Amino acid sequence: MDFARTWLPFLYLYGVGGIAFILGMILILKSKALRTTYDRHKKWVFVLLYGFLFYAGIHALFIYLAIGSQ
Amino acid sequence: MDIAVGTSLDRVVILAYFALVMGFGAYFGKYSKNTTDYFFGGRRFAWWLITISIVATGVGSHSFVKYSTKAYQYGLSSTMTYMNDWFFMPLFMFGWLPIIYYTKVKSIPEYFERRFNRTARYLATMMTLLYMIGYIAIQFLTLATALYRIYGIPLMLTVVLIAIATTIYMHFGGQTSVIFTDLLQGFILIFAGMLLFFLGIQYLGDHTAFSGLKAFWMNLSPEQKLPLAHFNDPPDFNFVGIFWQDGIAGSIGFLFLNQGLIMRFMAAKSVNEGRKAAAFNTLLILPISAIVVSNAGWIGRAIFNAVPGVLPDGLAANDVFVAVTNIVSSPGVFGFIIAALCAALMSTADTLVNASSAIIVNDIYRPMSKKEKTEKQQLDFARWTSVGVKVIAVILVPFFNSFDSIYEAHGWFHSTFTPPLVVGVFLGIFWKRFTSQAVIATFIGGAFLMILGQFNPELISPFSHGIELRPDRGYSYIGALYNIVVCAGVGVIVALFTKPNSEKNLEGLTVFDVHKLKAIFKGSAVNEEKGEDVIVNWVMDNTDENVMRFSTSDMNRMKANPGDLVYIQDGRWWLGGLKSAHSVYGAPHDEDGVVYINSTHLDHGQFVDGLELKAEKEM
Repeated sequence: MDFARTWLPFLYLYGVGGIAFILGMILILKSKALRTTYDRHKKWVFVLLYGFLFYAGIHALFIYLAIGSQ
Repeated sequence: MDIAVGTSLDRVVILAYFALVMGFGAYFGKYSKNTTDYFFGGRRFAWWLITISIVATGVGSHSFVKYSTKAYQYGLSSTMTYMNDWFFMPLFMFGWLPIIYYTKVKSIPEYFERRFNRTARYLATMMTLLYMIGYIAIQFLTLATALYRIYGIPLMLTVVLIAIATTIYMHFGGQTSVIFTDLLQGFILIFAGMLLFFLGIQYLGDHTAFSGLKAFWMNLSPEQKLPLAHFNDPPDFNFVGIFWQDGIAGSIGFLFLNQGLIMRFMAAKSVNEGRKAAAFNTLLILPISAIVVSNAGWIGRAIFNAVPGVLPDGLAANDVFVAVTNIVSSPGVFGFIIAALCAALMSTADTLVNASSAIIVNDIYRPMSKKEKTEKQQLDFARWTSVGVKVIAVILVPFFNSFDSIYEAHGWFHSTFTPPLVVGVFLGIFWKRFTSQAVIATFIGGAFLMILGQFNPELISPFSHGIELRPDRGYSYIGALYNIVVCAGVGVIVALFTKPNSEKNLEGLTVFDVHKLKAIFKGSAVNEEKGEDVIVNWVMDNTDENVMRFSTSDMNRMKANPGDLVYIQDGRWWLGGLKSAHSVYGAPHDEDGVVYINSTHLDHGQFVDGLELKAEKEM
């Protein structure tokens, strides 16, 4: 399986998607829509980052397992 | 290959299911007292109720067939579109959700009028309605295509019968009925999908050398185990095209423009509950849904690889769902799984019908009415509008039936109607400089350039990422990138050359004012002090004033002051806020554990005599 079949889609997904995600985080923090000084907002920062890593982790794991099963 | 058409037992199971859902939905009609209840469920539900009901909305009847097809052809990468929605969650949870919730916009087009002008609203209304009613027609067609084979009734008559069945419970119940029937159907969908997966794995275990999940995993090729498709090949299923079509345009469209979804979030008792529903749905329910809708295809592929002859070489990919279900399930179970397909259709269609009805009432009927209409008149109009929407959808069914496939019709819709709206709403929320003229240019000029691209695929080539151009079919998914770029390009250029709206006119309508929205919603300074919930007994107060009165001690525990907003609900958590009401704290009294409510609160909350209520300070 070549790179275009395995890791390239992953890098593109979390590269371009990651830019959208980071710009979104910056925008809501700069606009004070999300305030890290509020206790109830703090947990959402962790949830948002966790969600990104959760999906990246699942995709990376399955690519790794698929390559290993060749 | 012949498609299994079920047994008498299967037909009875499907009919019983329809009867159950109609009765269940009609029961909740008593909770719709006005148009706010009818469309938005009265802003009262808990996050878990919203989450499960969203499952049934997101999984359409076409999903089982469509994703099983891709799963059979390409393996686990069929899940891509269910696993790429997180990138816009920050902007949705902390940008769009508080804006729509606190500004009390009743429809996406209404936001366009407030943010831009009335012309933008009418253009958005037209595009949104065309999109939604067409989508309803596709849902009717998909299910009718499956059911008419089972019952042997002509296709169009099956479509009409399905439309009547969904009308019965929606006509009286509105959003509350939609939410509760979708809750039931959400559970049925997940259960049926996972049951199919379990039966498939059991079948593989019985017919191969492995058992359990290993039997499934070991019988897929390495390529079929990859979670993402090849970067740019083949043209009809590649990663990069689907990323732009679904991960970007589709995700923004679903989160920011799907009136049905927006109305579901507005039925949440608070913005925070809406955020919880969104997070839980995306992190847990969407991956489960991906398994639910795809697994028939994976099991089919594993059976094809491991047990030669069970599935024929020439099996049409579209027949995989029915073929695999028939192989691994027994009579009655087959009927139950087809009933789940009905659940998928009815729950998606009811949400879209309710949403279309909301748009017609809010964006056409109210603005164009010369005389102010009473709540009863508006509610009656809303109910009959939902019937009218279904009639139009039924009339459109033959048009969609003329496409080569349902997927082609579905894809045509997505690519034609969402990009201008996606760009318009997205730039409207996140770019203050985006002007009324710019959004109209996006709708008209963008649509023109999109059509130009459809007829001249060479215009899309610079965006193709190396995807092969099929001479007679053009580019498929990657066209979304071209559409977004031209719509955004037109919008940005016009915005830069036109005068921006004044700051005052934009107040509360962009992400930059989200921090002020609670105060705007409340009408006074927000009380952010964290208090505790209290359990109280309710007593009727003979007043028309919209206040609830608690004891001084209970108000101290809640850290509430007169004038703050209160939410009160039946103490039984599992009702999820069905019996609840919002109000304002009135002057305190001295009877601890007692709340005085008026007849409107009782009528709205349907509280039960003698049962305790739980009260919490909203803000």
